[in-house]
Amino acid sequence: MLFLAFGLNYLGMTALCLAMSRHHKAVLNSAPSSARTRGLRVVGALLLALAMALNIIELTADMGIITGLLQLMLAGLAVGLLMAWRSRWVLPLGGLLPLGGLLALLA
Amino acid sequence: MSSAESTVKTKSLRQAMAGLHTWGGLLPSWLLFVILFGGSIACFDKELEVWMRPALHPVGETTLSLDQVSAWVQKQAPKPPHAIWMRPPDERQPYWYAGYEPQNELEPFVSFTLDPQTGEVLPKTLGGNFWFTLHYNLFGGMLGMYIVAIAGMFMLVALVSGIIIHRRIFKDFFTLRPDANGQRAWLDAHNLFGVVGLPFHLLIAYTGLAIFVTFYMPAGLKVGYKGDIEKMFYEVQGQFGREELKRKTDHAASIDKLVLDAKRRWAASGEGGTETGWISVHHPGDKAAVVDIRRYDRSRVVDFQWIMSYDATTGAFLHEQKPYKPGYTAYAWLTNVHMAQFGGAIVRWLYLGLGLMGCAMVVGGLQVWLRKREAKGGWGIGFVRAMNGAVIGGLPIASLGLLYGNRLIPPNVALRDHWEAYTFIAVWIAVALWAVARRNSGRVGRDLFAVAAVWALGLPALDVLTGQPGALSAAIARGDWRVPGIDLAVFAAGLLCAKMAWWPRVATPAPEKARSKKRERRELVEEGV
Repeated sequence: MLFLAFGLNYLGMTALCLAMSRHHKAVLNSAPSSARTRGLRVVGALLLALAMALNIIELTADMGIITGLLQLMLAGLAVGLLMAWRSRWVLPLGGLLPLGGLLALLA
Repeated sequence: MSSAESTVKTKSLRQAMAGLHTWGGLLPSWLLFVILFGGSIACFDKELEVWMRPALHPVGETTLSLDQVSAWVQKQAPKPPHAIWMRPPDERQPYWYAGYEPQNELEPFVSFTLDPQTGEVLPKTLGGNFWFTLHYNLFGGMLGMYIVAIAGMFMLVALVSGIIIHRRIFKDFFTLRPDANGQRAWLDAHNLFGVVGLPFHLLIAYTGLAIFVTFYMPAGLKVGYKGDIEKMFYEVQGQFGREELKRKTDHAASIDKLVLDAKRRWAASGEGGTETGWISVHHPGDKAAVVDIRRYDRSRVVDFQWIMSYDATTGAFLHEQKPYKPGYTAYAWLTNVHMAQFGGAIVRWLYLGLGLMGCAMVVGGLQVWLRKREAKGGWGIGFVRAMNGAVIGGLPIASLGLLYGNRLIPPNVALRDHWEAYTFIAVWIAVALWAVARRNSGRVGRDLFAVAAVWALGLPALDVLTGQPGALSAAIARGDWRVPGIDLAVFAAGLLCAKMAWWPRVATPAPEKARSKKRERRELVEEGV
């Protein structure tokens, strides 16, 4: 469940990152429309909230809030570093990480 | 009015903070790096302890009882000790840890690590505790603790002033432009590591200071408890204690039986398990001796040990620790959030990652300082370059050196742990001399990456060659990744160092775009740092 939560944190951070014009251009070669920017921000926020909820369900609010925040920060770092050196990996990982987390949960 | 005064007046808050951030950040930065790096590594102190004790690697059940260990420890003390402490083996620490507090409070705690099966004293090693001690007092006792506290306060100052001078916190949130000019690229990196990890950096600096607040701000304690810290903690934690009667007795209740009783009492609550942690006997051999049995429960942040106290002579149940009151719970939460002993391996990995992010933030800041000034020259540049090589290169390489020393110094050498320390110090001095001598060569970074790479890549081989035959593969076979995990993590770090040493990424500067005057001015304050 924590792996899935990290994947969702990563995907949420990716959405927030792509909501910024510079990064949207770097990954998708075009500036986002304002509707798209808003959409990405909403989706990103929802994903981060869901990831926090998973942390809390897995570890109780006592520890889950802390691990949730730590995951959020590391996910943000991962997106930032990938944007700098491997921007083509940013989107595929956004699919792979949550999927891997889901498989790990089902396995 | 002098011109200096008028400049001060016209300075904006942001400019004033820029100066504070630059110098208040630069001067303690090497110290902060040592503290942050030591703390990050100390997340895995118990795992490193096991790595550094290869004799333990076929881990088995203990065959020793608490009564045996207690009797053995008491025999080690030349005079009847103030207290003895014992920690039975568990999954994460598969060895007996036991020792005594001498009657004289000024004498240090004497501890032993015992083989869980034979009860033999294991060869001495600095163990994983080494990085922990480095982290909180730099092996400098009380003075070291104060130095660490001052560094911690400077970290808070640097973080807050950094927030004030960074006007594009959200706009540049994910921005790192490695192809920009050196200063810009490093400023991006410094910002990314600092801003994305900001909640952690603030929390860790603040909670770190909170842990020893009784030493740093002792005024209330001096008035309320006449400076008796132990009494204060006994009281706020609701612990039981009683004075020695100075009447000897040979009779002692079986501690193993008392543990069974304590477990029964804990089990009644239905949560948190019944695993025992530290067990102590105060005034052993005296009629007023007390056995304290602590529970080991890492399923929540606050580490409440629910101590059960017994009369050591009769075995009579004396006292049960009551849950902490809200005030102490708040303090315990702060300290336990810092120590990251809750939640298991996943929490340790997260803390390690964010701790290293803090290290990267410090390194990034140092590089910004250098890149801004390198073109102009000056004496400070050589100093900062030398310190960077000596500390940022020196500590990680010396830590690797310690691991090599640990495995290569024969187990029967007298004062083995001292020789480990000499290895660590010698490696660090060698790196520092190299870094100082070649500070302006522009090659120190790559040289040190190369050394770190060779040592880190060699660590798994060292483990296989000097460990118990087949221990590593046996650990992997039973899914115990603690020791192989260290080998793998260090190996991965070695790959990264090798890349930096032999295949450094050549920056391809983006063609200088004609930038508008307005844009240049907007970047001035941050880049002025």
